[in-house]
Amino acid sequence: MDFHRRTTFDETVDEAMAAPQQAAHVPAARTGQEPMDPAEFSRACDRILAGINTVIDGKAEAAKLALTVLLAQGHLLLEDVPGVGKTMLAKTLARTIDCTVSRIQFTPDLLPSDVTGVSVYNQATRMFEFRPGAVFANIVIGDEINRASAKTQSALLECMEEHQVTVDGTSYRLDEPFMVVATQNPIEMEGTYPLPEAQRDRFMARISMGYPDREAELEMLETHQSASPLAAVSAVVTAAQVAAMIATVQQVYVSRAVKEYTVALGRATRESPLLRLGASPRSMLQLLRAAKATAALEGRDFVLPDDVVAVAEPVLAHRIILDRKAAGTGETPQSVIRSILAKVPVGEGAAGPPAGRRR
Amino acid sequence: MTLTDTPARGGGGTGSAGDGPDAGRDGAGRGETGGTPGGPAGRIRGAGLEPWAMALSVAVALAGAALGMNGVLRGWAWYPPVLTTVFTVALATAALRSLRLPGVVVSLGGFLSLAAVLTSTFFRPSSIAGFIPSAETLGQLQAYLRRANETILGESTPVAPNAGIVLLICGVLGLLVVLVDTLCGPLALPATSGLGILAVLVVPALVKPQSVGWPAFTAAAAGYLMILACSHWFHPGTGLRGDTARTPGQLRRAGVLGAMALALTLLVQAVVPGFDQGAFPQGSRLTPWGGATGLNPMISLGNSLRSPSGVGRITYASNAGSAPYLRSVTVDSFDGDSWSPDDRDATRRPGTGAIDPGTDVTADEQVRTVTAVNTGQFTSPYLPVPYAPASVSGLTGRWNWDPATLSIKGIDVNSRDQQYVVASVAPKLTPAVLDRATEQPRGLPDLFTRVPGNVPAIVRQTADTVTAGAGTEYAKAMAIQAYLRSPAFTYSLQAPVQNGYDGNGLSVLADFLAQKSGYCIHFSSAMAVMARLEGIPSRIAVGYAPGRPTGSTVSLAGLGALPEYEVDARDAHAWPELYFQGLGWVAFEPTPSRGVVPGYATEAAAPSGASTNENNDGLVPSADPKPTTSAAPLPVPVPAAAGGTATGPEIPWPLLYGAGGVLLAALLLATPALARAGLRRRRLRAAAEDPAAAAGPAWAELRDLAADYGLPPRGSDSPRLFAARLLGSPLLGVPDGVDAPARGAVETLTAERERQRYGRPGVEGQSPGAAGGGSGSASGNETAERIALIRGSLRANARWAARLRAGWLPPSLFTRWRNALARPFTRPLRRVPRPAPDNRATPQTPNGAAETRSGFRGAVRRLRRN
Repeated sequence: MDFHRRTTFDETVDEAMAAPQQAAHVPAARTGQEPMDPAEFSRACDRILAGINTVIDGKAEAAKLALTVLLAQGHLLLEDVPGVGKTMLAKTLARTIDCTVSRIQFTPDLLPSDVTGVSVYNQATRMFEFRPGAVFANIVIGDEINRASAKTQSALLECMEEHQVTVDGTSYRLDEPFMVVATQNPIEMEGTYPLPEAQRDRFMARISMGYPDREAELEMLETHQSASPLAAVSAVVTAAQVAAMIATVQQVYVSRAVKEYTVALGRATRESPLLRLGASPRSMLQLLRAAKATAALEGRDFVLPDDVVAVAEPVLAHRIILDRKAAGTGETPQSVIRSILAKVPVGEGAAGPPAGRRR
Repeated sequence: MTLTDTPARGGGGTGSAGDGPDAGRDGAGRGETGGTPGGPAGRIRGAGLEPWAMALSVAVALAGAALGMNGVLRGWAWYPPVLTTVFTVALATAALRSLRLPGVVVSLGGFLSLAAVLTSTFFRPSSIAGFIPSAETLGQLQAYLRRANETILGESTPVAPNAGIVLLICGVLGLLVVLVDTLCGPLALPATSGLGILAVLVVPALVKPQSVGWPAFTAAAAGYLMILACSHWFHPGTGLRGDTARTPGQLRRAGVLGAMALALTLLVQAVVPGFDQGAFPQGSRLTPWGGATGLNPMISLGNSLRSPSGVGRITYASNAGSAPYLRSVTVDSFDGDSWSPDDRDATRRPGTGAIDPGTDVTADEQVRTVTAVNTGQFTSPYLPVPYAPASVSGLTGRWNWDPATLSIKGIDVNSRDQQYVVASVAPKLTPAVLDRATEQPRGLPDLFTRVPGNVPAIVRQTADTVTAGAGTEYAKAMAIQAYLRSPAFTYSLQAPVQNGYDGNGLSVLADFLAQKSGYCIHFSSAMAVMARLEGIPSRIAVGYAPGRPTGSTVSLAGLGALPEYEVDARDAHAWPELYFQGLGWVAFEPTPSRGVVPGYATEAAAPSGASTNENNDGLVPSADPKPTTSAAPLPVPVPAAAGGTATGPEIPWPLLYGAGGVLLAALLLATPALARAGLRRRRLRAAAEDPAAAAGPAWAELRDLAADYGLPPRGSDSPRLFAARLLGSPLLGVPDGVDAPARGAVETLTAERERQRYGRPGVEGQSPGAAGGGSGSASGNETAERIALIRGSLRANARWAARLRAGWLPPSLFTRWRNALARPFTRPLRRVPRPAPDNRATPQTPNGAAETRSGFRGAVRRLRRN
């Protein structure tokens, strides 16, 4: 593994939180990377998606969303029953990109230092020496993250949010791109530590794979019988290319109308009587970043409200908490978000209130 | 008016007593559980509280509306039977309904209970067992109805509550109860029931000068609201609720509607030419049986004068040499708010063969005239005769006369279709004779000399000023007449109406003297009151000014052929009569441009008098005393009198109104289409003027077009989503069909719109693989072509009804208007603080008024834009 050791990096201000609307105008500030040519960007995306689709059958949507999260510099939470290909998706995504990948199998006895790294006394130099943990990679796959203790979870989550590791008072910067793909099993919850709200909020999107349909499952049985398809996957883009793609996404233009629409969505979740907890400002930021990535994937250099709508459900659903009564009447976070999306005006028909328009 | 135990009422009473509490619980219970199971007990127990509450509401509404009839009928004696009828019928229907009988049976029961209660109230002696009508009852009913008919045709508004008219009112109200009950109950149209209540309110509104009055209106409105509330409570599923109960803007909507109705009312009233003229002037009576006009002396006079067509035509022939005044009745008591003739029925004497004038005429010479009158359609209790009648012959029916005023009144008949010959006798009057009559009046009833209390100061002052320096009574009278005929006063039928002193009474008089404009009522009453103030007995005579010759002649036995004259409602007139001892009552003419000034009242020494008044110049020469050989008062026919006072050249008002109405209706009908076309034109022009921003107006037009053809855009529709919906609907045909160009145009417009609204400003179509195929900004012409293409395709695919609606009643336009109207009332959707120009922190919620105002301004701006 290729460890990059950094000196103290004091970045206390969350730059995105401080100036949300400038995020679009300060492209590639973090990576210092030149954005990619649109055509090349499009080809690279196609290659990645094609690579994933050779492994995971019939889950193009999930693959696209995973790529979206990667390009939007977010983290992905895969939540589903065992055996539908969560880990496979994460691994495939990592494999298609020529970058460092590490995998952590979370267990109750895993310690924080196993994730972040530890300072070891070097007899030869008579000094403490930092040994990076598993988190020092471009793509970190955290399998069954809810099985680890809360302490270990939070160690990972700090890395996720700040892209750095602090051990013994020294901060170590993580490499870009950095993405955590965590999986979680919602069924077998015994002896687990479910992620609390605050930590779920760190993940940009949560998707569930779902069972494949009949044809896809049949084909899977045919092709994946003998060898693991993962072995056949080779890297199609380099880490540098991914960084350039991320820079491209950052340059996507967001108009004021779309920002207003995003804010209106967030406020609607907070004002909805069906919800106990609405979407946080951080989630709004991540929603817009995901929308930018979606727009870029669509081959556009500006965001449409449709892009926001497309990612709203995976980005917001795991952050909001239903009111107890609403949950009793069979509402789900997804259904509430869908109804809010159907209600919040885009602002196209500027003349008039949104209510009462429908007969 | 006693109430007997009609079965309906009895049943209603016991029903309400026995079922009330149980039924109430039952009703409440049903509200929760959604209907009692149809067990036998439930069937027998009845339908709960609802029928009783509804019946009570109906009864309150109609009985309340009937309060307005006070003033149409005199006093309150008529009200108990009305109450009895209304409540009996209402409770009867409620009782039947609580038994869950079918609607037809309930209505039938209502009719039967109405018949029973009317019989019991009005025809008890002739009925069977007190409430069942017998054959004799039907005969009586006919007589009552005839009586009611005569009352309506013949009498003036505050009519005495005779049995006929009260029976009619009770019957109509009872029928209305059944009608309203049926509307609210089986037909489930509670809002429509307001028509029934309105029918009651219309009568006082048309007939009474002071209209319905607030108690009646309040009671009727309260009853109507109760009806609506009842149907809302008990039938929440019916059409009344609509979607207003779901949306929170109910109050706001009601406010907007109310304000609009109010504004419309005020606006229409200000814009319409005026209710005091035209085809149906204010306060005029409906005369469906053709031309009957009761000449109610004071109240209807103004309306008669203003009537556009001459109804109530009377023809008469006289040997007086010129057309005489026809006098119906006099007004002698000037007390009270509203003057009316005092009938003094007790002292009237029957028979018209020999009428004693009552005053001993001591003049040397008397003038006797004979007049033959044909009243035709003119309907009044009083007989128009030339003063002073000595005998009337040829009348049908029984008549009597008042010794004090010589007014002749029918006992059981009216003046309709009467032909009679009047012999009149009057002293021969000259200024000299009158000037000599300076004795104090003797033997005259007190009522002609009594000065009314609370005379306005202006009347007294004017009287004193005008008569200052006049010695004799005659000189005073002449001075008053000269003052009223001076150029300062103008004759106007409209001025009193417009300035609110149309009518009669002392307060009206003050206004008249201040405004110096009015018609005969005002002039005559002014002179009469001022004369009394100066000690001259006076009264106001009401009748007709001298008419126009018809050109034909009437031959009377012994007199030969006499010239015939005619008068109609437009000649209605009032004039003062002053009493001079030894000469009797002498008529004067203070009204300029009406009637003729009698010879004895034309004063050579008063040059400032009548001659300067327009329309009157022709009178003075003919009023020269020389040719007055016989009659007094000396009438001179003024053929042009009526025409001169009317509107001058004949204007075909009905035709103009009709044409105007048609034009207005056409304009109204075409307004939405014109407005929509104008909007489209403005948008396309805006697109052509600024090609860079062409997508905005083009997109707005596309949305409206789709809305017109049945695909209203939703608030949450992004351009892409809306275009997908439009292309997915059958409005634009199928993909790859003949409509492919239009579908392509939609896609192009969508892409342009997205780029214009959401794209990076200043960058033209350099995005990777843009959907618009690199068409950065279309020129305005292309935009217009695309819109035309889409429009044509929409039209071609729509059915004719949808096409018609899109053309003439475009829904998008109404949505737009509705939104513009609702804008001031809707909460601002976003409370994101706008970037403040002065960089100060703006409060999150600015105060409400400013918010509303800015919202309103925004609405106006939005209306103007595009």
